[in-house]
Amino acid sequence: MGRYLLKRLWHTVYVVVGISMISFFFIHLSGDPVMLMLPPDATMAEVETLREQLGFNDPIYVQYWRFASRAVQGDLGSSLYFRVPAVNLILERLPASLELAGAAMLIALAISIPLGIISAVKRGSLWDLSSMLGALFGLSMPHFWLGIMLILLFSVTLGWLPTSGRGSLAQLVMPSLALGLSLMAMFARLTRSVMLEVLSQDYVRTARAKGLKERLVIGKHALKNALIPLVTVAGMQFGFLIGGTVIIETVFAWPGVGRLVVQAIFSRDYPLVQATVLVLAVLFVLVNLLTDLIYLYLDPQISYLEEK
Amino acid sequence: MKKRRLAWILGLALTAALAAGPAPAAQDTLVVVQEAEPVGLDIMQSSIQTTMSVGYNIHETLLKPTEQAGVLPGLAEKWEKLDDLTWKFTLVKDATFHNGEPINAAAVKFSFERIMSDALKSPHRGKLTSFKEVKVIDERTFTISLAQPYAPGLYMLAQYLFIVPPGYVQKVGDAEYNLNPVGSGPYKLDKWVKGQEIVMSAYDKYYGPKPAYKKLIFKGVPEEASRIAALLTGEAHVISGVPVHQRKRILDSGKAYLTDQMGSMNYLGLNTYEKPFSDVRVRQALNHAVNRPLINKALFNDKAILCAGPISPRTLGADPGLKPYEYSPEKAKKLLAEAGYPKGFETRLAFSPYMPQVQEQAEAIAADLAKVGVQVKLESFERAVMWDRYKNKQHMMFIYFWDDAPEPDRYMYSLFHSKSRDYYYKNETVDQLLDKGRSTMDPAARVKVYNELDRFLYQDAPWVYLYVIPEVYAVANSVDYKGLRDGYLIMNTAKPKK
Repeated sequence: MGRYLLKRLWHTVYVVVGISMISFFFIHLSGDPVMLMLPPDATMAEVETLREQLGFNDPIYVQYWRFASRAVQGDLGSSLYFRVPAVNLILERLPASLELAGAAMLIALAISIPLGIISAVKRGSLWDLSSMLGALFGLSMPHFWLGIMLILLFSVTLGWLPTSGRGSLAQLVMPSLALGLSLMAMFARLTRSVMLEVLSQDYVRTARAKGLKERLVIGKHALKNALIPLVTVAGMQFGFLIGGTVIIETVFAWPGVGRLVVQAIFSRDYPLVQATVLVLAVLFVLVNLLTDLIYLYLDPQISYLEEK
Repeated sequence: MKKRRLAWILGLALTAALAAGPAPAAQDTLVVVQEAEPVGLDIMQSSIQTTMSVGYNIHETLLKPTEQAGVLPGLAEKWEKLDDLTWKFTLVKDATFHNGEPINAAAVKFSFERIMSDALKSPHRGKLTSFKEVKVIDERTFTISLAQPYAPGLYMLAQYLFIVPPGYVQKVGDAEYNLNPVGSGPYKLDKWVKGQEIVMSAYDKYYGPKPAYKKLIFKGVPEEASRIAALLTGEAHVISGVPVHQRKRILDSGKAYLTDQMGSMNYLGLNTYEKPFSDVRVRQALNHAVNRPLINKALFNDKAILCAGPISPRTLGADPGLKPYEYSPEKAKKLLAEAGYPKGFETRLAFSPYMPQVQEQAEAIAADLAKVGVQVKLESFERAVMWDRYKNKQHMMFIYFWDDAPEPDRYMYSLFHSKSRDYYYKNETVDQLLDKGRSTMDPAARVKVYNELDRFLYQDAPWVYLYVIPEVYAVANSVDYKGLRDGYLIMNTAKPKK
């Protein structure tokens, strides 16, 4: 087990080096930030001076080497705009991202799993039909539109919730709901289809034949097996949510990492883009690792020890 | 069991959340919501407008700029011109920074040297390069000298020479100062909760009139619909970044009004180094071909101000005698035929979607040009790519904008002087007039120089002149606030409406 973990962590190094190179070269190829950093009326002499000072006149491989050699010492550079270490900026925003992703995931799982199970058990019923139709709606609604509709309903019309920002629980409700709704739809459909498959398996029939209560058959025997694909998808989604909720962050002024990296990309804030991409990549890999470990719990037949 | 507990927790959370509701701001607190949170709080270190708006409440300059490109007393109560290259200033008595440090001539000298230093990489440095040095005479008096005569000098000092406390800056360093600045403005910083808000309170020893609101809070909300919702629910008193198509909705709500600020002057640049735009007749033809009044009506509810020449009608030096090119496809066709393009030609038009409503403008312009035979291929570029192609002279036609700031020198010099950005246009007469405008110290004579420049460029038409789209702030009815033409949200003039 320990060896497996070490191997997986070693893979992270490959991923991180690969990603850092790709993001570094792509962002550098798409224009430099100096013109954007200076006011529009800056003269060319000012632009050139700043470019020289920031080292952007050096060949790109020299710039990458400079970045990489500092990065291995733990220095990911300072943001060109915020003028503070990029890592600090990310760490300031990471809790907000984790909070939002966690809340959305919680809402989605808490509602979708029971919904999916009931739909599967009562297949073809009105309940099944309406909940799956609801899920289809949830999947089709764009985040952006849903977010604004929630604001209009709960803040402007009803006056129950604050429009945006972070700090109180009230401010978490709408963004996590907007984000959770499409996840909920996806998970509910997935739970239903996996449950349907599992319920037709021999061991379920055996369990029923043994005279076990239906609640136990579904809740213990069927569900545990059905959870494996769900955990995979939820794990991937969680990894994605940490950095990929930029639209919801924009609508609700949520100070997360997603918006930070998009701003950084648009303003060509190289150090910040690099640092965010690296941190997000590491997180994504770790979440995936965690997902794989949850498999072990769910299905003891899965073993990583025998992997060659 | 576990599931039941989870349901309980969720239920409780929702109840708590709902009970909280949106909190309308307290009576003595003013909440301003901009498009973005500042990137830092040291106003010397950033030229981003949303950042500077916050900074201007904490920091101050020697003088206050006016909307007519003039100046009024600020930290300097009086000043006199000793000669064309030297001004002598006297500071107000007993003014202090928020930490109690005195505002004296040494602080001014320190501030000037800091903004000009290589280490700080201040984006404002370029605006002050005409200034040579600050000499301390005594505690309250000092001189500022120029390397060469520079007519907009006082205005530039008023906008960009921020005075900072030497003791504190040297003690904490530039990075920390960017997080916890100490200025001399009407508000002092209480705290900056990153990603949430910047809280300031009125400085009780401020030398000028005390602000009406004791607390001032700035927030950043990037989405326009959310900003407007915050205004309508009472969470925000003043919001910036109000797009043209949302203005009616705000007014119709009966909860807020609009106040003018700076506008953006949009223009269609032409590559005069390449055929067919090297021919002035083609450039004039294009000016006749674009139906500005119709674009104004369709896209800007007739609120845009049509431009005749390159100097915005609201900027010092615009020639009041000039009228915008008449919309006349016939004249355009005639001019194109004279230039040897009776059937028109094909060309490209670049724009960048970060500018509001730019796609619609580009399409309207392309449709107008098609009517005179000019077939335009539209090219949309991401902001940095657009810049890159701009400076590499890869555009043929491009839509860009400029702030219609009160003072003409910086932008006209920067855009049209061949020593600045000689990318798409160069003209000796223009260079001479720009140099003259910069060095003519008599204000009336200076206006005449820019009038002449405006007329010359109207004729030579290196751009298709478009329009100024006035920007507005939306202000809650409970607050009395008038926006400033410099575009910054300086809030000490805001007061509760009786």
